[in-house]
Amino acid sequence: MSATKVAAVEQYDYDIIKKFSVMAIVWAVVGMFAGVYIASELAWPFLNFDSPYLSFGRFRPVHTGAVIFGFGGSALFATSYYIVQRTCQTRLFAPGLATFTFWGWQAVIVLAALSYVTGFSQGREYAEMEWPIDLLILVVWVAYGAVFIGTLMQRKQPHIYVANWFYLSFILVTALLHTFNNIAIPVNLFSMKSYSLFSGAQDAMTQWWYGHNAVGFFLTAAFLGMMYYFVPKHAGRPVYSYRLSIVHFWALSFMYMWVGTHHLHWTALPDWASTLGATFSIMLLLPSWGGMINGIMTLSGAWDKLRTDPIMRFMIVALSFYGMSTFEGPLMSLKDVNALSHYTDWTVGHVHSGALGWVAMISFGSLYHMIPKLWNTQMYSVRLINAHFWLATIGTLLYITAMWISGISQGLMWRAFDDFGNLQYSFVESVAAMHPFYAMRAIGGMFFLTGMLLMAYNVFATIRQGVRAAESSQSRPAVAATA
Amino acid sequence: MAENNHSQTQSTGAQTTGHVWDGDLQELNNPLPAWWTYAFYASMVFAVVYWVVYPSWPVGKGFLTGMSTVSYANAEGKQESWHWNTRAKLLKETQDAVIAQKPYYDKVASYTYEQIANSPELSSFVISAGKAVFSENCAACHQAGGQGKVGFFPNLTDDDWLHGGSFEKINETLHKGRRGYMPAFAEALDQTQIDNLAHYVLSLSDNKVDPAKALKGKELFHSQTAACFYCHGDDAKGRQVIGSANLTDKVWLWADVPGSNDSAAKLTAIKQVISAGLNKGVMPAWEGRLNTEQIKLLTVYVHELGGGK
Repeated sequence: MSATKVAAVEQYDYDIIKKFSVMAIVWAVVGMFAGVYIASELAWPFLNFDSPYLSFGRFRPVHTGAVIFGFGGSALFATSYYIVQRTCQTRLFAPGLATFTFWGWQAVIVLAALSYVTGFSQGREYAEMEWPIDLLILVVWVAYGAVFIGTLMQRKQPHIYVANWFYLSFILVTALLHTFNNIAIPVNLFSMKSYSLFSGAQDAMTQWWYGHNAVGFFLTAAFLGMMYYFVPKHAGRPVYSYRLSIVHFWALSFMYMWVGTHHLHWTALPDWASTLGATFSIMLLLPSWGGMINGIMTLSGAWDKLRTDPIMRFMIVALSFYGMSTFEGPLMSLKDVNALSHYTDWTVGHVHSGALGWVAMISFGSLYHMIPKLWNTQMYSVRLINAHFWLATIGTLLYITAMWISGISQGLMWRAFDDFGNLQYSFVESVAAMHPFYAMRAIGGMFFLTGMLLMAYNVFATIRQGVRAAESSQSRPAVAATA
Repeated sequence: MAENNHSQTQSTGAQTTGHVWDGDLQELNNPLPAWWTYAFYASMVFAVVYWVVYPSWPVGKGFLTGMSTVSYANAEGKQESWHWNTRAKLLKETQDAVIAQKPYYDKVASYTYEQIANSPELSSFVISAGKAVFSENCAACHQAGGQGKVGFFPNLTDDDWLHGGSFEKINETLHKGRRGYMPAFAEALDQTQIDNLAHYVLSLSDNKVDPAKALKGKELFHSQTAACFYCHGDDAKGRQVIGSANLTDKVWLWADVPGSNDSAAKLTAIKQVISAGLNKGVMPAWEGRLNTEQIKLLTVYVHELGGGK
């Protein structure tokens, strides 16, 4: 009887998923701590301590790298390996390669962070890693693609589940983006420094073609894949509309590719390119909302669970923030709105309504669902999940409200003229006006980080509980088998 | 957690696609929500309108320029019209602003400093435009209100002027820039001499010091050994023609006497300046960076900040 038990656990390759799940939590704590620290540096600049290693400029990519690639990336590796196995009813293709993706990816995050604090940066946002790290990412990514596609090909199901389409597009497009954005010539083979192959407006456009599609395929499509599995699974409801999932998947993939230029309105970029970026952003709104509608409508009929289940609450709030920030994005991409919002904290608030509200919350919900299944146990404390939910929600709201106020104030102050047509405020006056909101943003971040620490403890206790139960069931096989 | 839901699936009335994954994952075959479809079409119509208004698709070596235009009077007063583009928008905004402010700048150019300062209309303009020019160009050193920073940048709001506080002198300072210099005495004098000098200098602005040391310092000040009087003058009141400091007022630029708590700290601050000298008081020349009218109105603005003379 104990043999059947072992067989059930062995049906899927869970070890790699466990590793990535734990590291997702670790990087979330590290990255969110770095975020709170740099937010505090902006509010209370003495925290720079006149040290180059702690300065905002070097620490900021440590924050973005740890949360996007460390936390987000590890959560995506974990959930994609989980979902692709379970929906294809097969084990991972090339498990050795999968293990390599784990160690390779962790090495990327560590090396990137070390290189940033020691002053190496390509100066490309969200792709600050210098060329040796870029090459390592490329190798890891190709291995990831091989494991994922190989697993899909050996599936025991006739159809490929919708979540896998999203993960597949994320893997393919990220490979494409990463390669073309990072084409650079090193100064020499032993130098970390390199120069981009592109120059001027072309370089800026390549950077933002990468930048926005990283948002589109890394932070949106992939997390929609997560949503498409964990929301229906957790709610115990079928996906609302298969047709909608197909239409919005292809529309989203097609539209996203064009919109990067909306980051470069009112610059040296040709005006026609900027127009196309703006209009495709508007046309992207409904395809983005397709995912939200499908997620929320899947829950209809299971609304009662929101009262009792904080995991469900994470998922529904994530979908709500997703809907809100994908409405805000197209709005900000219009030239006239952008003239006000560009270079202000509004952009920072917009990114975080997506990053905290959508990406992090859907990951929390999914990890809370998945982790007990991996260790064959229950979450240690539902009350802690509930506390995490409220801390995360309040933190996100504080953060984005602070950035809306400060961003719009900045935009208005920079363009304010007096009766004679002279600038009403100097730049430094706008900086001084931001101070209370910078403090408020840091406090919002502290709320979010506190929730994350609760999650880390809760997950640690859950794993310990699962491991102890497994040990005791091994020592008493007969009991475990009849249970 | 999610077992036994197949009955629920049927209860919604919609058909599933018939596929089942991972035990219980299914998809309903609901049609696209009508409002979603129409809103999607509407966003496409919006995009097409936007393409008609603004420059859009590239065609051959050019691009569709769009129907929207930008018109403005250029610097020569000639009317120019362009298809909508960001550069023309910038030129229009700049030119419109130049035209709106031209009457004021014309008066700034033709009036004397006193006429500008005494005209209510022009002094309002100077306060407005001067603040903008000052904030963008001067405030980085002299601070937003012109109060400066002891040890670094002169205070413009007091009535102490190193190089003269008349309109003409301020204007000259702005045009040509200034360079403050004082030789280092660490090699030329010994520690006791520097200490005595510091006592004397501190006594000049009514601070309590050791009178015996101050007396020795006074002799040294006026002697050929230290020769402080060459630059600071017999009365130690400085000479504006060379920019040397008045040591008898209570205004300190380099030695942080006001920020020192006790006389030991005050003496240390002064000894530091005497020993090391100064070669950092650089005011850049603004000629060529700002135009003549801007410098002129900045002259009046700075003069009015505090005690212009």
